Amino acid sequence: MTGQEDEAGCGHRRTASVDRRKVLQWGGAVGLAATGAVPKVSLAQEVTPAVAEKGFPVFEVAPLAKIEVGSEIAFQYPDADSPAVLLRLDRPAEGGIGPGQSIVAYSILCTHKGCPVAFKRSHNMLLCGCHWSSFDPAKAGRMVIGQASEPLPQIALEVSNGVVRAVGVAGLIYGRHTNIR
Amino acid sequence: MAPPVKVPLPPRNAQTFSTVCQFCIVGCGYKVYKWPVGRDGVAEANALGVDFRQPQAAFGKWVAPSMHAVITERDGKQFNIAIVPDDACSVNSGLSSVRGGGLAATLYAPDRPTKARLTTPLLAQGDGQKAVSWDEAVGLGAAIIKAVTDRWGADAVGMKFFDHGGGGGGFENNWAVGRLFFSGIGTRSASIHNRPAYNSEVHAAGDAGIAALTNAYVDAQLADTILVVGANPYETQTNYFLNHMVKNLSGDALSLKRGAFGAEAVEKGRMIVVDPRRTMTVAAAEAAAGKERVLHLAIEPGSDIWLLNGIARIILERNWHDGAFISQRTETQTFEAYQRSSLMMDRPRNEMLGEAAQRTGISIADMEKAAQWIAAPKADGSPRRCLMHYEKGLIWGFKNYENVAAIVDLALLTGSLGKPGSGVSRLGGHQEGYVRPPYPGGRPALNVDEAVRRGAVKLYWVGGCNPLLTTLRAGAMEVAFKERGGLVTASLRASQGKPIGERVAGVVEALKQGGMFLMVQDIYSTASSAYAHLVLPAAGWGETNLTSINGERRLRLYQRFMDPPGDAKPDWAIMALFAKKLHEFYRAEGNSLLANRFLDFDWASDEDVFIQARYAFKGTAADPIEGYAGVTYDLLRRLGPNGIQTPTRIVNNVVVGTARLYEDGKFATPSGKARFITASPPYPGYAAKVEAQRKRYRFWINNGRSNHIWQTVYHHRFLDFFNERMPIPHLEMHPDDAKELQIAAGDVVEIANDVGRVEAMAYPTDAVKRGHTFLIFGQPRGAAGELVSDHVDPATTIPYYKGAWADVRRIGPRPELTKTVSFLPQNVAE
Repeated sequence: MTGQEDEAGCGHRRTASVDRRKVLQWGGAVGLAATGAVPKVSLAQEVTPAVAEKGFPVFEVAPLAKIEVGSEIAFQYPDADSPAVLLRLDRPAEGGIGPGQSIVAYSILCTHKGCPVAFKRSHNMLLCGCHWSSFDPAKAGRMVIGQASEPLPQIALEVSNGVVRAVGVAGLIYGRHTNIR
Repeated sequence: MAPPVKVPLPPRNAQTFSTVCQFCIVGCGYKVYKWPVGRDGVAEANALGVDFRQPQAAFGKWVAPSMHAVITERDGKQFNIAIVPDDACSVNSGLSSVRGGGLAATLYAPDRPTKARLTTPLLAQGDGQKAVSWDEAVGLGAAIIKAVTDRWGADAVGMKFFDHGGGGGGFENNWAVGRLFFSGIGTRSASIHNRPAYNSEVHAAGDAGIAALTNAYVDAQLADTILVVGANPYETQTNYFLNHMVKNLSGDALSLKRGAFGAEAVEKGRMIVVDPRRTMTVAAAEAAAGKERVLHLAIEPGSDIWLLNGIARIILERNWHDGAFISQRTETQTFEAYQRSSLMMDRPRNEMLGEAAQRTGISIADMEKAAQWIAAPKADGSPRRCLMHYEKGLIWGFKNYENVAAIVDLALLTGSLGKPGSGVSRLGGHQEGYVRPPYPGGRPALNVDEAVRRGAVKLYWVGGCNPLLTTLRAGAMEVAFKERGGLVTASLRASQGKPIGERVAGVVEALKQGGMFLMVQDIYSTASSAYAHLVLPAAGWGETNLTSINGERRLRLYQRFMDPPGDAKPDWAIMALFAKKLHEFYRAEGNSLLANRFLDFDWASDEDVFIQARYAFKGTAADPIEGYAGVTYDLLRRLGPNGIQTPTRIVNNVVVGTARLYEDGKFATPSGKARFITASPPYPGYAAKVEAQRKRYRFWINNGRSNHIWQTVYHHRFLDFFNERMPIPHLEMHPDDAKELQIAAGDVVEIANDVGRVEAMAYPTDAVKRGHTFLIFGQPRGAAGELVSDHVDPATTIPYYKGAWADVRRIGPRPELTKTVSFLPQNVAE
């Protein structure tokens, strides 16, 4: 898809450079975590400049060791008005961290009309009950089928001192004109 | 590139425009905001009138990144454009679809992928095409049209043009195209978008005296039962489904029903879906209504006539038909013929239904259930209200004429016309806006594909269509373009730099040798335009005012809010340029008879075309839906997102619309009564070349549109959101079939038969039955047309697009193509 990445100027692509950077950084962090040599992580706005306009807060979601396959952890990010979910999938995910790159997190506000999506374990999808848009958490929140015109915003994660932390958001959260208010 | 963390808000003084989505038939209302770059509104004060210091709640007003674009006008000034769903529009009530939510992303901009738009006329030169002025393009093109007409007659000028509403079409452009080709040139060699001829897709409905679009969308909220045959409205008529059908299925429309029907028994709606696939429509309907109120009839190909007539037979024998309607509103002798022929009343019931069950794969019990839901009287004895919808599964099914007849007959049998909660209508694909002078040809219409391949068409003008992609037996069309077109290309190359007279003479020589001059008018380059000798850049949606109707005949003004790219012009203006040039040529020759055919193209504006068409368009008695007496742009501007439903009439100086057809009980036949259209037994069988294919190959290659893929993805192929979902066409196949052929999700497969071959990515899913598959219809990297035989219904010249059989073979994974593609099921709603 190199050719298509070249056309990424079209606006609202969010995967190419950001995700490549994410994979490098988070992959590195995971690798280090596995060896026990975890460096002190710098401030989020320094590690993920590509996703930060004004600087995202750092939020500790859960200890890595406690996130098992099938885990579903609700949290709010980047602020209390933004419900999100962390998932550990049974498969590697684009932008995933942790064992087998299987841990991902998303805003749960559907990018169609803002209803909450729910994780359907039987199908490994995030499904909106209002108009049945569905999103693939293993594919950077891209829509499987439905009426949204944007992927589900993916929350950038990193592992620091054995803790999974949210450090940024790729894509615009429903109902906002900026992610950081 | 950085992701969008900020979408600019329109300031309070942003310019606003009312428009309608350019894509599907539903025609959702959208609001356009335009403001200069750098003059954004702020969170607490903006044109949306909401305070973004707090996040919007669900169903609030939100500008998604895909709803915003920066454009550059011809004078170089840059503007922000935001296009958001209009909550004042009764069609969508503020809902967007996957298509409409991305309207802004499709706008032309010199710094985004839509920069691929055609911006100047192109003329074949050397090995490629070079930019020329409109003067040069029109001078040469018109001279060749005249030379061809003079030597070979009008039918040697072939055309394949849009005839639709919405983006690129509309009343204005359709009228201008019809004026040039029909009342001007006078050719019968005309055809419509992907199809080989110029014809209605619903001749049977017309013959019955019934228009294609009979109901109002609100009828889907009022019906007791919605019957959907061969359509998938969640994906392809989205907000009709979500904003109207679902409200009925979920019970949200109960108070509306009570208000409309008083004491009549009402409950939440039921839905019957006839579709070989378990689509998202079925899943979503079940989630909304409960499984017990949705009946999915997974029909075998080629058996719709059996199913619909089997259900009708049950209704008749149970005495659930509407006797009063039949005796007062239909021609009685046609009802007698219908019972005898279509319903086979001389065959015992169980024998007829047994054969229907065997052919359709649907049990008699399910047919009885369907009959009951369609026509059994309600708890209080009042007649059931059934709204019947059909689209390509039936229209492009096995026998176009009898298929459409069968559902129209079912509506007549049950009196499902002219009352709230009823109707028999196409669900539709594109929007409508068919206003043209009468087509000079007869019926069945001339097969233009054949005339192109045979050499009878000397000049072929293709507008807003891409025959190399979507026609049937598309490979053969490409050979004709290449070989016949090649002769003309060689001539143009040889005459480069010479006076126009010599160049035209050279082209005529090439045509005599079997050549064909190809003109393509479009907004983007296409597979077809690559072979064109003359390419004409057209303006698109938002770049010219246009008017269209949606699936409930709702006529609105789609306002112009930006310049067309470069020198691109609206189609109507291009037609006028050629007409004026032809007029000039014939007048110079003293041929006033022909010169006069090209008079009255002096339109100063889009509204001039609209008004001329309003006076001149008579329509046909069977299809009055585009009549719009008294309507002006000014009226439409005042009516805004809800417009007015056609046909209109003037009552005491007020323009009055028509929400629902046939409420007066008068149908479009000389008697004013509707006609049952019979299918004579034995029902038609497969044509020889279809039957041979069916016997030889393992898989039925059903095909059609999908949620993400609008028609040929002409805009969306440039946008990551869509491209990442469907970089190449996908082929749905049953997981067991895939396993047997060692095909995994995402594997590229070859689909091949005696007509051609297509490559697609496998998408295993239980949506399809074993032995069935489903291929995306018009994806430019592989279209179903490559596999469809050139068989057409002899009564209507409508192809059997759904009738292809082929073998499927694994090629192997192509992760670089499919890495962004999700293979999760597309029919899960709970």
